[in-house]
Amino acid sequence: MPRPDFVELRTELLQSGISPGHVFRAITELDEHFEDLVFAEIEDGSERATAERNAVVALGDLAEVSRAMQQQPELKSWAWNYPRLARIVYPLACIVALPAVPVIAGVQNASLLARWAVCALVGGFVTALMFLVLQLSISPL
Amino acid sequence: MTQPNPPFMTGVPELLLLRILEQQEMYGYQLVRSVKQVTAEAISLGEGVIYPALHGLERNGSLKSRRKAVGGRTRVYYSLTRKGKKRLAKLQDDWRRIQNGISTALEVPAHA
Repeated sequence: MPRPDFVELRTELLQSGISPGHVFRAITELDEHFEDLVFAEIEDGSERATAERNAVVALGDLAEVSRAMQQQPELKSWAWNYPRLARIVYPLACIVALPAVPVIAGVQNASLLARWAVCALVGGFVTALMFLVLQLSISPL
Repeated sequence: MTQPNPPFMTGVPELLLLRILEQQEMYGYQLVRSVKQVTAEAISLGEGVIYPALHGLERNGSLKSRRKAVGGRTRVYYSLTRKGKKRLAKLQDDWRRIQNGISTALEVPAHA
């Protein structure tokens, strides 16, 4: 018997609107639980294959886990609970927030930005000066 | 082989989980072992089904969780919150009341 299909469970839970945080944590916990069961069986003297077979049985039907999670509305993601908010307000908020982020970051790090700006200006000035000197040196007078 | 739990067991897993976690924080695998131990395997919880129950209890504020590295592996440990303690006290009261009622009913001779 193969390992439990946690990928299918994860897909099913995400498609049914369970919050991604709960889904990924539940999958990690189930995977760890499976490993613990296998380890305990091996410690009791079972072969790896037998231990994994027994662990799958002990862990139970993953469809039951899926049903148990889907029956709890509090585990649903906010986007599932408020689809209009997720589809309209959230993108609009992002559109507003995205240009604001660099401005806010600039205000908070004004001294750093000023140093960078001075460095860039000085660098540009020196480069322009070098080009001017080179140009003058090759230009016929 | 353990028998499946009867339908009137609704709420019992919650009571057991809260009761066990009242004593010390545990992760899922430990909890399943503990439930089996304290109930002498009279109550069988599907081992995988414990996680939806734990997540639900955490979401309603009865439990809190934290990640803890133990022996090179990171476990999610659950512990009882103040709200969880209140919930446990209520469930225990409910359970004792039902238990007393059923015991009384079973002691009274059945009428024809």
